Parts: sequence; structure tokens; C-alpha cells
Amino acid sequence: MQKKWQISRRRMLKGMGACVALPFLEAMAFGGSGSSYRKPPVRNAFLYMPNGIHPDHWTPATMGREFEFTRQLLPLKDYRNDIQVLGELMNHRSIFKGADGHYAKSASLLTCQSITQTIGDNINSNGVSVDQIIANHVGDQTLFPSLEYGLDRITTGVDINVGFTRLYGSAISWKTPLQPMSKEIDPRLAFDRLFRTFIPGRQPKNDPYKQSILDAVMDDAKSLKNNLGRSDQDKLSEYLESIYSVEKRISNTQNLEKFASRITPDIKKELIRVNQNIDEYVEMYAGVDVTEKTRLMFDIMTLAFWSDASRVSTFMFGNSVSNRNFTFIDGVHGNHHSISHHMNKPETLEEYLRISAWHIEQYAYLIGRLKSIKEGDSTLLDNSMIMFMSDLRDGNRHAPQNLPIVLAGKGGGKLKTGQNIVFPKETNLANLYLTMLHAQDINVPQFADSNRTLSEILV
Amino acid sequence: MHLPVLKHTLNLLCSRFYRQKSSKFKASISAMRRAIIAISFFVLLSNAQVVAQELHDYNKVLIPILSKKCYPCHNTNKEKGGVNLENYAEKDRLISDGELWLKVVHQIKTREMPPKSEGPLSMHDYTTLVDGINSILETSLQEKNPGRVTIRRLSHNEYHYTILDLVGVDFDARSYFPSDGSGGGGFDNQGGALFFTPLKLERYYDAADSIVTILRNDESLWKKIVPVAYEQAWYERLINWIKSIFSNDYDEINSPGSAAEEVIIPFASKAYRRFLKENEKEKLVGLFKSVYAKKDSLSNPARFDESIAESIKTVLISPNFLYKVEEEPEKEGAYPLSHFEVANRLSYFLWSSMPDQELFNLAYTGRLHDTAVLEAQVRRMLADPKAKRFAETFSTQWLGINKLIDNQPIADPDKYPEFDMPLRLALYRETVEYFYYVLTNSKNMLELINSNYTFANNKVADYYGLEGVTDNEFKKVPLTDSSRGGVLGMGSVLATTSFPLRTSPVNRGKWVLEQLLGISPPPPPPVVAELTEDPKAHAELGLKKLLLKHRSDPACRSCHEKMDPLGLGLENFDPIGKWRDSYGKAPVDPSGVMQDGTKFQGPKELKLLLLKEKEKIARNFSTKLLSYALGRSTLFTDEPALKKLDACLLENNFNPELFLVELVKSYPFLMKLNDFEKKSTG
Repeated sequence: MQKKWQISRRRMLKGMGACVALPFLEAMAFGGSGSSYRKPPVRNAFLYMPNGIHPDHWTPATMGREFEFTRQLLPLKDYRNDIQVLGELMNHRSIFKGADGHYAKSASLLTCQSITQTIGDNINSNGVSVDQIIANHVGDQTLFPSLEYGLDRITTGVDINVGFTRLYGSAISWKTPLQPMSKEIDPRLAFDRLFRTFIPGRQPKNDPYKQSILDAVMDDAKSLKNNLGRSDQDKLSEYLESIYSVEKRISNTQNLEKFASRITPDIKKELIRVNQNIDEYVEMYAGVDVTEKTRLMFDIMTLAFWSDASRVSTFMFGNSVSNRNFTFIDGVHGNHHSISHHMNKPETLEEYLRISAWHIEQYAYLIGRLKSIKEGDSTLLDNSMIMFMSDLRDGNRHAPQNLPIVLAGKGGGKLKTGQNIVFPKETNLANLYLTMLHAQDINVPQFADSNRTLSEILV
Repeated sequence: MHLPVLKHTLNLLCSRFYRQKSSKFKASISAMRRAIIAISFFVLLSNAQVVAQELHDYNKVLIPILSKKCYPCHNTNKEKGGVNLENYAEKDRLISDGELWLKVVHQIKTREMPPKSEGPLSMHDYTTLVDGINSILETSLQEKNPGRVTIRRLSHNEYHYTILDLVGVDFDARSYFPSDGSGGGGFDNQGGALFFTPLKLERYYDAADSIVTILRNDESLWKKIVPVAYEQAWYERLINWIKSIFSNDYDEINSPGSAAEEVIIPFASKAYRRFLKENEKEKLVGLFKSVYAKKDSLSNPARFDESIAESIKTVLISPNFLYKVEEEPEKEGAYPLSHFEVANRLSYFLWSSMPDQELFNLAYTGRLHDTAVLEAQVRRMLADPKAKRFAETFSTQWLGINKLIDNQPIADPDKYPEFDMPLRLALYRETVEYFYYVLTNSKNMLELINSNYTFANNKVADYYGLEGVTDNEFKKVPLTDSSRGGVLGMGSVLATTSFPLRTSPVNRGKWVLEQLLGISPPPPPPVVAELTEDPKAHAELGLKKLLLKHRSDPACRSCHEKMDPLGLGLENFDPIGKWRDSYGKAPVDPSGVMQDGTKFQGPKELKLLLLKEKEKIARNFSTKLLSYALGRSTLFTDEPALKKLDACLLENNFNPELFLVELVKSYPFLMKLNDFEKKSTG
């Protein structure tokens, strides 16, 4: 216990340096003025919290700009003008015959399509998630089309009880209807994948034959594919596409150079700091308290956005039905999912509330990090859309209406922050995604069951 | 046809019943979906064979009874429990949803349907329906269908062991690769749930890279791949030089290319677990040559070895290595797997790894469809220490205890500080050693449910309070009190079925039903109330009374009557599996009444009651192990194979060896059916 605090203090002191406004001198950075002006790209993050929230202390009573912070949203109070609280959105297609309380809602959260009920391995989300749609449009301009982060391993097994493979609860990002993205849960591996090259003494060795090796195995996969049946071929396409994607990354020297040139001295300083924090974190026993781990993942996400390694990321605080032990929070004596079935008992509701407030606190941390980074006259946060959401409102009732959603950032100047909006009842969640897509000039005519854009959130 | 009054009464009664039972049928919806796969097979196959031997005509005899007794609640307008039996106007449709109808027969047979309240079927209707539907289903299954298995990527476990057996490097794949889900039977070797993503490819690449680096730095391991250091002797160089004067296109003697062939081809065919094709040989040697040409700054043997290293890397990320490939010849209907494919199925089943030389030899000589050979191989493989991998991979996933080795907390560390990582690993190991012993020594799988021994090292022994174990080695320890004998008394199972701060009799009860008896209780109603987490309430009331309160709710009762007693019988084990006699103030009352009224006292008597459910236990083993062996969920079409497996257990005192022999000889294990979907071209 003691040790954790030491780390946090040390880290805070070190972090101070990066938190003060940074001198703006990078020529390759976004923003700038005059002829060197380059409009910063829009970054997107989708943060998922399982098990819902305390329904009575979430939505501010006052609509519009003068809203008050409810107990669960209180950690965001310093960011009033950076956020929008969005009420009464609902993912209609998470409700279907055979749908259960959790899996059907989490797996469809970013796709807005009903998942196929199965306890077999024939999983199908029937949709592509919004983050992957963004990645499909802007991904080729960055090193990584998208990044998928989380805290927990995939939950294995099948929930025979409700008739769903648990895998559904462990993925919100779907590259294709049949293929969930794998998520990184280890800060060390996540960091190294992006930034190892820039840390003294951690550089990977020179590997001149990577391309030929990848070519050879791609060839293997192609000839193998010809001798297989249809569904095996589909399976092998995943392999082929992975090769394409990695080849594209390592052969796109322009992107690589662009990326390297964006690692400014400031970014490098921050890289070294985060790298060291990860080292310290790894040395400790990863106990019940996941605050430090969450923040490290957010530090990495911030760095990825800052250096334009990627423009879209998802983050799962836990898998669906997560029963994380939250006793590390003051006043909480149990586990997340159990507490979410609070039966309206005041003392359990209080614990439930504190757990969501902890999540919002971490969200606020990420917002703070992004806001501390300048991009020309704006901040990284201004050029982002950082969404926090759960797939349920009240976990006790598995209620899919009026989802708890907060959207931070101005999306490059398109979003109208600083307001509490309550949409007409049961407004389609897909409308929000459609609006977010349009706000970054991804002009798809429709997203799942969308039926309008939400002009209310736009400037 | 129906009297309106009667219909109304039926509806009323049915609806009351269904409030409790409907969910049971929900599970069968997914089963129906799975059975859809089977549809196409049946449509195909029924042409080939004239089905006969049905006891009753479906349309003339069975439908009238169904429409009188079942349709009132299960019709197109009113699908109670999501089941519409009116939909099955023709026999073929019934057959195509065989799995659902198997459940229908089961419900009728056990007299769960029609609901008691409504009055039972007459004896005549009862036998007509049960025998009639059964005979239709059985007749339809005479044509064998082995099902199909989606191509499977090596699970992280299998990757670990395959690398170990192939090159001798112990690579921790589980913590390095992004985790996989699991499907079907709940195992991590099910093809559909084994995805490939760019992130995974990167990790496979980096893994191959570090494995090769380890090999290059370990002379003895490297020698196993490149037995003779490559170098051209002075006279060979001389001859080659002279040859080169006379021709640009000369045959180099002892050329690096031909030496590389001797190394790469045996290595790759071991890694791909089959013979290489001509173009594969050319490709690998070609890659070697191009790397070799570029590495001219090095001198041999380093130049040769470094170039070989790149080829090995290629092999280790090739889909031929990473996937268990079963090629599909253009064949209609079921066909036997190739001998190499059988060797792979066998070794990944019983060793979680690649075949060894003997299996390769048998595949080469085409003897792996010979049942005597298969039997001998199963015995040999079980006797090999590698069978412990099977014991571990299967048992820990089956029992759901593999999360003990993850770095995530299970019991609350403040309340239970002794439940630390070393203890967790020891409890995990206890279960694995125990399972391994049952598999290879005791030869009675019922000992998994009850016995008078366990396996312990000093850590486990201290924890349980057992005498006579002083060191870190696990050994068999007799139990004076048999409460702990079997998986139900193991800390691993007891802790993983508990919440961090308290036990969950409901979880434990559900676990017994699902994992040991293979019964899945229906899901809780949408609005469920969970038990209070207030520790004070537990100390004062005792969990049993709290649960009784819970069960007073009629919506909960029907299922909790089944689950709770099973879990309550284990209440003497606390959330980390330690023995306790009280909760603090209230004493533990481990007595219970099963749904059928049988009373019992504590874990010992509970286990004896469970052992009476031999048929359910047998079916559970058959389903779980067949699913694990095949890498897919079991289907309705596996019914004939499952029946044989059940019989094998029941007739041979649950002997695992005979059972596994029966399994690998089974039709779905040795045969395959082509994908019915059209192949895409190119």
C-alpha cells in the first residue's frame, strides 16, 4: 500500500514538468502560424466502463451551460468548458430476442448492431465499430490505424446461463463483424510497440530481412488458402490482412519519417518519463488498485495522439460483467458487478456511485493530460473527441435507456462543449456516432440505425 | 379443433408455468442456430439414403397429439419460451432442428412438459410422442456426419509446447501474446474464437525473432538444428574456383544452398507437421540464398548460420506452422482425415503439442486409421510425461481455475492476505497433479468427484492442515477426513467460485451443475436481486438464511432450489477454501435438501449423492472431452458418438484410458466433412 503512494508522489512531481505549458517550437508539429500552419487532425477515444452507473446522481438537473456537477461527474468540475454531458441516448439494437443484460449491450456499443446469440465459436457482431470506421478512413495517414487498450484479459468460457460466449463481453472494437480487435492490457508491451525506438538502450535491433520474410509467409498463406474450405478461408484472411497491415506500416517510409520527425524534444522527454514509470510499475506487485495502471495506459494513449502515432483508440476499463474488486476505493467493500445489483439499498448505491466516480476521475486524468498539450493556439484536447460511456444506465435493471455518456474535446472546433444536453427520449445512439464521423469529414450517409445528426452537439 | 375454454385454461396454466421455465428454452434457441449448420448436411445426405424404420408417421400420428397438447402454447402467434412447434409442419424440418427436438423429447420424457398443472399426457400419447420423435431423430442420424472443424490457430499453450518440442526453447507465450477467448465447449482451442490481428502478427514476429536469438546463443540447441557447422574445405573451394573459370553456370560442390536444404527442409516439415511441397522447399531455400548472398561481410559458418536463422524465423511465423491445417480435398460427403492430420489431432489432443517421431512415422506409413494402432498410441501417449500438459490444459479450463495463475486478485488481499500468488500456484498445481493421477494411475474418473486422497506439497499441506509433507514436491497424501477428496474440496475450485469477500453458494451450486453434471440452469430473470455484500449481515444471519429469504421469491425459487443446496453443502469451505465451522457468530449449517427431497449433511454426503448421477456425469465428460479434442462445440449430429462414449464410461467404471481410446477411434475424430459453402476462387 505504502509503496504505491510513493510512486504516485514521485510520479506527480516528475509529471509537473510536462504539465506546464510547453514551449512551442517544433517545426513539424501541428498548428503553428502563418505558412507553416497545418491543421491538426482530429483524435478519437472511446472509453468503456462496464456495469452502469447510479442513475440518480449522474445527469445534471440543469440543462444547457449552467449545469451543476452531480456526485459522479464531480471529478470533471475543472473541465466544465471542455465537456458535454449527453442524456437519453439509447442503443436500440442492443435489445433483441434472446438478448441478455450485458454481452448483447457491450459488444454492440460501438457498432449499434445486434450481435448473434451463440455459445459456440461462431461469434458475429453483425457490424463494424465506429472506431474502426474512423480507422478505415484516416488510418493510413498514421503508423497505427487504431489502438485498442484495456485493463483485463479476455474473459474466457461461455456463459451458458444467458447463452453467450463471454468473448462478446471482452471486445467493443470490431474490425469486421467476425473479427474483434485484440487489445493491449500491458503498459510495457503497449509502450514498446509504439515508442521503443526512441528510448535509449531499448531500440530494437536492425532487421533488414523483415520484408522478405513477411513476403514469404504471405505467399504461404495465399497458397494455403486455395486448399481450404470457405470458412477456413475467411479465417485465413485475418492472417493475410494482418500481414498486409504490418507490411504497409514498415514499408511506408514516408509515414515512418513523418512519425520520427514528430518526436520532438518535448515528446521525447515525456516518453522517457512514461517509460520509467512503467519500469517502476512493473517492478511492483500489480495489486487490486488499478489506478496506476489505468493512468499509464492513458499516458501512452496521450503520447500516441500527441505524436500522431494513431488517431483513434478504444479503452475498456473492464470486460462486460466485470466483477473487479474495488475495495481500494474508500467506502467500497465489494465487487463491481455484484454492487451494480444494488437492489436500491442506500449503502450499496453509495458504493456503486463511488466506483463510477473513480472511473470518471481517471477520465478526468486523461482529459487533463490532453489539455496540457498545446497544438498551435489550441490544445490536443481541443482537437479530440474523447468519449466516456457505459452500455447500461442502472446496472440493477440492466437498463439500456438513457446511457451515461460524456463527450470531451472540441473535435477540432466542431463540437460545442460546456453543456448538458438531454435529447428526446430514446434518441438513437448511432446518431451520435454519425455526427462525430461527419464532424471529422467522414461523410458516410448512415451509421447502423442512425436517423439524423445531432446538431445540438455541434457549434 | 380446440375447445376455446380448454385453450384458455391451458394458456393460463402454461403462462404460469412458463414464468419459471421459459428461459430453459431460450438456451435452445442458440442450439437451434447451431443446428442450422446441420440443416444443410441433412438436406444433402437425405438424398443419398432412404430413411425408414420410423415407428409412427409424423403427420398422421404425431402432429395430432402435438397440436392438442403442445401447440396451444407453442404456436406462431405465441412462442412460449421462444419455441414454436407449429413451425415444424414437415418431418424434414423437425430433423433439421434435431437438437431442439432432442430437448423436446427430453422435456416430455422427464414429464416437465406439458406442465404438471395442466394434467399429464395419457400413457398412450406419452409413449407415442417419446418413441415417435426419438425414432425419427435416430433414423436421421444413421447417416454419419462428422461435422466440420474450422481451421485452428495454435492456442498460446500449444504454441508454447510446440516451440519447446520443436527447438527446445521455453517461451512464455501466454503472457507475451494478447489473450484469446474461448468458444464452444469453453476451451481456448476452438477455431472460430482464435483470431488473428496485426497486433498478434507483430507479436508472433517478435517471438520468432527472440526464439531464434536464443537458439543462436545456445550452442547445444543450435546443433540440433544445424548438426554440422558449414564450411567449404580448401580443396572444395579450389575445385569450385576452377569450375568457375570455365563456366558461369557451374555445379558448386558442397554449395551453401544444398547444405541449407539439408537443414531447412527437415526443420520446416517438422514445424509444419507434414511433408513439404516442392514449391515450399524452393521458397525456403530461395529465401536462404538471397539472405546468404547479402551477408557477404560474414564468413562461414556464421554467414551460413545467420542465413539459416532468417529461414527459421520465416517458418515460425508461417501460417503452416501457426495453424493446424486440415486441407480440404474436393469431396462430397464425409472422408477420412489424412494420416498426418490424424497425427496432429492426436498429439494436440493428448500432448498440447506437435507429433513426435513415432507419430510421424506412423503417419508416413499410413497406419493411423488402424484402430489397434490408435489404441496403442493412446496408451503410449498417456504414459509419456507430456500427457501432463493435457491434464493441465484440459482440467484447468474445464474447472475454470486457470485464472489462479493470472496476476489478477481473486480473494480480497486485505481480508485474506495468506491467499497470495505462491499459494494460488500451489493450489492450481494440486488440481493438475490430481487430474493427472486420475488419468494415468487411478483410472477411475469418478475419483474426480470423490476420493480419500489428494496431492500436496508442504504449502498445500500446511494450508489444509495435512501431516507428513515436508518439501516442495507434490505427492499423493491420504485424507483421514474425505471432505476434501475430489475437485469439490480443492482450494482452487472453492476460491475461484467465490466472491473476493464471501462464498457464493449460488455460484458454487451453479458450478456443480454446469461443470460436473453438465446441466445449465436457466438465466436469472431480467430483474434480479443479488445478495447483500454487508459483512455484518453475514455474521449475524448466516448465509443460509439470507439465501432462504432470496428463495422465497417465486421468480427465483425454481432454479435456486436446484443450485443453492449444492452450494450450501460446501459452506464449510470459506472463500479461499479453508475449513470453517462458523461464520463468526452463526455456525455453518452444511445440511441441505435436494430438489427431490433427499437430505444430506456436509460435503461428504453431498458428493455421494452426486455420484448417483452417473449418467449425467458420463455425458458431461463425453461432451467436454469431445469438444476439447475436436476444437468445436458438440453438435446434434455427434449424438451417436456421444452415446458410445457415455456407454464406454458407464460400462468400464469410468476408465479414462478406454474412454480416450474410444474417443480417438470415434467417427468425428477421424473423419471430416467439407465446408458446404462454395469455395471462393483464387
